[in-house]
This record gives sequence, structure tokens and C-alpha cells, in this order.
Amino acid sequence: MPLDKLYVDKHVAYIKSLGENKDDLTYHLTAHLRMNAIYWGLTALSIMKHKDALDRDEMIEYVMSCWDDEAGAFGPHPDHDPHILSTLSAIQILTMQDALYRVDVPRVVKFILSLQQPSGVFAGDSFGEIDTRFSYIAVNALSLLGHLHELDVDRTVQYILACKNYDGGFGNVIGAESHSGQVFVCVAALAILDRLDVIDEEMLGWWLAERQLPNGGLNGRPEKLEDVCYSFWVLSALATLKKIPWIDSDKLTAFILSAQDPENGGIADRPGDMVDVFHTHFGIAGLSLLGYPGLEDLDPVYCMPASLIEARGLRKGWEALPRRTAA
Amino acid sequence: MHGTRRTRETPEAIKARKEREQSKLKEYLSLTDHVMARKKSSDWSKEAFDATTKLLQINPEFYTVWNYRRNVMLNGLFMNSTPDIINDILSEDLSMTTAALKAHPKVYWIWNHRRWCLENVPEGPAGTQDWKKANWNRELAVVEKMLDADARNFHAWNYRRYVLANTPEQRPETAELAYTTRKIEANFSNFSAWHQRSKVYVSLWESGKLNKDKCIEAELELVKNAMYTDPNDQSAWLYHRWLIGDGQNHHILASEIAAIEELLEEQPDSKWCLESLVHYRRLLVRNHAMVIGKEESERILRQCIEFLQQLQTLDTPRKRRYQDILDRLSVAKQ
Repeated sequence: MPLDKLYVDKHVAYIKSLGENKDDLTYHLTAHLRMNAIYWGLTALSIMKHKDALDRDEMIEYVMSCWDDEAGAFGPHPDHDPHILSTLSAIQILTMQDALYRVDVPRVVKFILSLQQPSGVFAGDSFGEIDTRFSYIAVNALSLLGHLHELDVDRTVQYILACKNYDGGFGNVIGAESHSGQVFVCVAALAILDRLDVIDEEMLGWWLAERQLPNGGLNGRPEKLEDVCYSFWVLSALATLKKIPWIDSDKLTAFILSAQDPENGGIADRPGDMVDVFHTHFGIAGLSLLGYPGLEDLDPVYCMPASLIEARGLRKGWEALPRRTAA
Repeated sequence: MHGTRRTRETPEAIKARKEREQSKLKEYLSLTDHVMARKKSSDWSKEAFDATTKLLQINPEFYTVWNYRRNVMLNGLFMNSTPDIINDILSEDLSMTTAALKAHPKVYWIWNHRRWCLENVPEGPAGTQDWKKANWNRELAVVEKMLDADARNFHAWNYRRYVLANTPEQRPETAELAYTTRKIEANFSNFSAWHQRSKVYVSLWESGKLNKDKCIEAELELVKNAMYTDPNDQSAWLYHRWLIGDGQNHHILASEIAAIEELLEEQPDSKWCLESLVHYRRLLVRNHAMVIGKEESERILRQCIEFLQQLQTLDTPRKRRYQDILDRLSVAKQ
């Protein structure tokens, strides 16, 4: 089958099938990612205009079954410990399903704020791993919950800024090497906090543009291999800087499409590899930002449907490529 | 899944695989139930600890079980133990995570557990720091092995910086400089090592242990080697850009421009030569216009325009970026 178009029906069927693999060992070995996986699946479906392919009530009940009443936060799976990662996914899912009223918002806000460290960075849970990913998650979640005003913005920005490197990019902690994934989270957090002024746009735009390899794919760091997930991370930051035209969008589109499994659906990290819901989501998210025909607009800052973010009055000044009409 | 090739399975093959997996799956699920039941009942026993070992060997991503394991130690195993027993337990856990990291070098939770163990090692017998020192000193060797296996593993580099910053017996930072030299000489493309080098230098300059100007001169020599070895390798060009910074030093800027021009003569189609020359020449005009004069500035900017046009055909994916710079240059000229 030719790989020059997006096999929407196949991908919808693939995402639907994920919950039906309960006799599969991999399904159970990835239980710690279940909440994230549902967020990835639901967002990808929404962008493909098939949001209803997964049962809404069942999904909301699953999310609520992961609520940890002691911590006031969500785990990724019933009986798994609460974490800021799964808490954001739960909030995003409930926002997309218009069911945030089910959440004890003040308690979640308290949980998130309790994870901020004196340096300004956030920990992922009470065990204290720190990472700028968690700062972004905190900012994103507080913003969706309408409680951003409770955040110590200066301290949050200060830590992110301390992770900035001379190449314009950001690392996950102070001293760490710039990485596309961390650039996404840091730029998006700064965008939500209206502090993009601290970014060296020319330098970072250059670094991001140089992530594109001759095969069209994007890598995460200099002299590394391409991977579909970087399509979104690099594109998100480029969209926020209004610089997507700084890379070759046709070649990137072709690369993402070439990583599809045209028979059983799903998108892989690179052509010919095993698909998974993570790369399926980030591939489709990337295609949306590239203006691929027939898709919904994705908000690159929140990584959720743009219409939803706009309706909540949270849209920032990013620019994706105009939506093309099918040839 | 990262780097796993797709295989086409017939429905029969899928059925056969699932049947083969059934016993593994059953074992995994019953072990999970067993551990979770103990966790729910706040079981801090040695049996619970051993069950987490078994489960984590199958699935090191199961962070809830790592959390539980630490709680079993804190609330159970450590409670009635002397410091030397605690040291033994933690040393054993460090060995266990070494093995786990060899198989799963990019699993955040294993690295996290390792830090926790290290931070909880008791000081040592009779007022010494012997246990602490012994455990921390082993860490650099472990992380070096991890970086030998994958010289770009950012988990390992982050862990390395963490160990260097927190180890009780601090070693001179110049030793870390020597380590990055080794890594860079083994492979000029190792940007992680170049990055580390830039961080170590900043620290050495700030503490006054090394003279910045002298270091920069030597570094420009090193990076020139890398640029000549493979002019298409980004790592060296990025590091070069760091060395030049905002180009306040007219002498360095001018002589580096001359050196890159020389390389360009050998490699007339080198995108990185052209791109860097545009950047450095613009810095020259921006910072040193008084020194070089108006006419020379205009000549240099005309050259920049020429190079940018050349880049648009040489490096088509990024032609819009070159156009944006061109637009800005022509606005500036008006």
C-alpha cells in the first residue's frame, strides 16, 4: 500500500483495538502508562475527527478509578501511586470529555503546588525526582484548571531559565544538554506564562531547524537519529516561535506518513518499526501542525484540540501551517 | 516502540505467541496482585521486599513497586538494623540496579532508585565516612561503563553530573575536562561530551581556576581539528559558536573568520562554513563597525547576502530561514 496518505480509518481502528489486548503481556507491562496512553489515543482520535470512537462514560469512569484520595491526585492505573504525569493526563482527558466537574479541583491544585521545590522546579511525586517536564505539567494543569494565579511564576521561570544552554535550547535539569523534548516543555511552559521574552528566538530557531535530517525526519539532539515523536516536540516549539517554515514541511510530512503501518494502523518511531500509541499520537499531532488535509487543528502549547483551548480563552500566539484541502 | 522492527504475524502466529505468553502473563499478573496486596496492607516484611525484587526484574518500569520497595526498607528492613546491615542492603540494591541499567539504560525509575540508595547509605563505622565514600566512589566507574555502551545516553550524563556534584570526595574539575577530551577524541560527533566540556569550563572560569582567554585559544585549536575532520558534523560548529559567543573579541572573531574562509576554499560547498561565516561576519559588523569602517562593513554585508543566496540552493529545507535573514539584512541597509 502506498504511504503517501494518512490511513485515518486504520489508525482509528488501531487505537480502538488497544483496549482489547488484555490477553497480551505488553498490555500489562505498560499499565504504568495507561492514563497517558488514553490521553494520547483520545487526542489523536479528536484530531482525526473520531473522538467518539472510544466510549466516553467508560473512559471517565476509568480516569476516576485512578483517583488517589489520600494524595488528591491521579495515578496511571488503579492502585498505582499518584504522579504529576498521570495527573495532567487525567485532567486533559476530563477536559476533552467535558467532565472536569468530576474532579476535586482544590485538592489537585494543592497536590501540584506542593511539588514545587525551593529552586522553582517541580518534582514528579513525593519521592522528589525533578525535571522541567514536571514544571510544564504543573503550568499546563494549573492553567486548564483555572488556577494559574496561585503559581509562583517568577520562581518557576527562574528555574527554566537556569536550564537554558548557549545553543538556545533547554535541558531537563540545570547543566543538562538541550533536547527537543525539553525544548517543547520549556517553551510551552514559558508561552503559557507569557514569558517567551526570555527565549533567544534566533538561536533556538536555528537549533530547531537543524534538527531536520536529509530524510525529512527530525532528531532530538545534534548528530542523533530521526524519530517521529520529535516531529511534534520540535514543531510545537517552532509553531510557538512562528517559525515552522524554517524546515521543509513536505519532507517531514512524507517522513511521518512513511512510518505508518498501512495494514494494521498506527505509526512507529521510524519506517518499518513496530507501531505504538505514543508515536501514533505524536505523528498525527505533527501532521496537524503541518496543515495536513482533513485534520482538526492541534494547539501546540497544550497538545490538545485547538478549538477547546480557544473556547477556554487560553490560546497563545502560535502559528501552525494553514490547513490544506485534499488534492 | 523505539527501534523494534515490525514483523508481519499471521493470525495463527499471533495465536501461538499468545498461547506461549499465557504462562508468563499469568505469572506476572499473580505476582503483581501479590505485591499490590502486600502494599495495601502496609506489609514491610523481607518477604514483601523479595517479591518486589522479583517483580521489578520482570518490569523495571513499574514505578509504584520501586516506591513500595523504598517504603519497605524505610519502615521495615531498616527499622531494627544496625548501620552496617543497612549499608549491605543498599549496596546490594546498587548492584541490582547496575544490572537493571545494563538491560534498560533509559528507564528513569531505575536511575531514580539508584540516587535514593546512594543518598541513604550510612556514613561508615566508628565515625568514619568509609561506606559512603566506597559507594559514591564506585559510581563514576559505573556511569563510565554506561557511557562506553552509549556515549550519548542523557540519563547517564545527567547522573554523571549529579555524582560529580555530590560525591563526598570531590575530585578536581580538570579531571572531568580530561574525561571529555577522551570522549571527544574517541568521537568528534559526541555533542554530549562537547556540551559537558562547556559546562566544566564555565565553572573553572568562574572559580578562577583557569584563565578564560588562554583556554579559548586552546579550544579553538581543538575544535578546528574536528571541523577539518568532518566539516558536516554539527557538534564542532555548535561548540565553536559557544567559544565565540557574542563576538566581543575582535581579534578572535577576525582570525576565526579567516580560518573558516580557508576551510571554505577546500570545501566550497560546505553549508556549515557558509552559515557560520554569515553569522560571524554579522557579529563583526554589529560589534566592530567602528574598527572596520563603513565601506568594509558594507562589503562584508554584501558577502553575507551572497552566501545566504548560495545557502538557499545548497540547503533547501531551511531556505526560508535564510530568506528571513536576507530580508532583515536588506531592511537594515535601507
